[in-house]
Amino acid sequence: MAAEDRKWKCWQCNQELVKQQVLFTYLGHTFSHDLPTCPKCRRVFIPKELADGAIAEVEEQLEDK
Amino acid sequence: MRKILRKTYSVCPVCLKRIPADHVALGNKIYLEKSCPEHGSFSTIIWHGLRDLESWRGNLPEIAEGENENCPHACGLCPEHQQDTCCVLLEVTKRCNLRCTFCFAQGGDGEDIPFATVRSHLFALADPGKTLVQLSGGEPTVRDDLPQIVAAAKEAGCQYVQLNTNGIRLAQDQEFVKELAQAGLSFVFMQFDGTNDDIYRRLRGQDLFALKKQAIEHCALFNLGVTLVPTLVPGVNTDEIGNLIRFAVAHAPAVRGVHFQPVSYFGRIPALPSEAERFTLDQLLAAIEAQAGELVPQDSILPSRCDHPLCGFHGDYIVMNDKTLYPLRRKEENCCCQPTTAEQNRAFVARRWQRPQAEAALSSDQENPSLAGDEIETLEGFLRRIRSHSFTLTAMAFQDAGNLDLERLRRCSLHVFANGRFVPFCAYYLTKQG
Repeated sequence: MAAEDRKWKCWQCNQELVKQQVLFTYLGHTFSHDLPTCPKCRRVFIPKELADGAIAEVEEQLEDK
Repeated sequence: MRKILRKTYSVCPVCLKRIPADHVALGNKIYLEKSCPEHGSFSTIIWHGLRDLESWRGNLPEIAEGENENCPHACGLCPEHQQDTCCVLLEVTKRCNLRCTFCFAQGGDGEDIPFATVRSHLFALADPGKTLVQLSGGEPTVRDDLPQIVAAAKEAGCQYVQLNTNGIRLAQDQEFVKELAQAGLSFVFMQFDGTNDDIYRRLRGQDLFALKKQAIEHCALFNLGVTLVPTLVPGVNTDEIGNLIRFAVAHAPAVRGVHFQPVSYFGRIPALPSEAERFTLDQLLAAIEAQAGELVPQDSILPSRCDHPLCGFHGDYIVMNDKTLYPLRRKEENCCCQPTTAEQNRAFVARRWQRPQAEAALSSDQENPSLAGDEIETLEGFLRRIRSHSFTLTAMAFQDAGNLDLERLRRCSLHVFANGRFVPFCAYYLTKQG
């Protein structure tokens, strides 16, 4: 099971995270992705695979060389 | 009102001796002026004042006293050269199946370089895992063993193998295209001067438009990206710039972009150029604005940062399903950019000019109306689209003995491999005028 599909709890609020649409903005471009989010404090859990994978690739594609 | 804006060095167009030169403003126009003690004074238009030259160039320094004193005659990269090699050009033949009015390489009836020699050159020039080699000529596709040369380039460790071609054989010989693709060819730079045969008759001596389209189709069959390369000649095809961009966008993703080359007067040229026969970089920028209109936002075209800003530009886009261009970069986000390395530039151009693997291309090429427009708003949608439908507008303003500016030459990253040395392109093909 992918990390973002497991059940997670917010360590501060002790709330179960729920999948919500999250907006990422980088160099003037905005992208959405559904990620586990704390319903109380709105903190977002970004799995390592996403950070090292899609997010890193988007950064590389957008950075001017 | 005559005003000296900048000091640099150039060469005498007659004897090619290194001489001081000035950028001189006369009204809105800017000229490169220089005097040879033996052959007199020369003046060449370099900018029409259609864009602000200072802001386009940025804060690059002038050539200081005592710098680059052996440039360009000791060329074959010296410690004072300011840029590494981004792309290496290797001539594999002097033969050509066209007799163009303009040709930097004076291709014609020459000879092929023996395969063993080409192979040894490839091993000498390759920096394994990095090199982008351009197989050039003459016309490389006149060689039946070109697929073996491509394979040798890959064996030598070249990461990317680019073919510079007029496309005739790619149109006429589908099996040959297949062999090139199977040998590991990365992408194709195809001479493509316009979208009607009048242009080809005037520049290339025969009708070629149908062949160009056929060549693109054949490359698409084998997942080879094609970048269109027009030579822009005033009075012939400078009013064709908008059509070239629209044609390229319409044929994306098989076509990966347009690489404009304003005419330079070296190699085989019809005559010494008058001011009206030159097409400066700011004229090209203005022509794109006038002819492509909303398709190409002007602030999406940025000065070269790998080479000198006066040597070219790049615009980076995604082609959308409705055949509009989504710009990836705008000027205001890049106001403080520093020069980039040749390695960064090579990775960038290769990422854009190469098509993704066949499986990825198959799934993303299917124009799915449900994904139109907003599909790039998700991380996955954006990545899917940019992998398959990236598109560039680039330009390279080659220099000749008339407008050679050593401040520009010392930042050149396109190098010809010859006699065991890497020689900046415009130094290698420098030709005496008159």
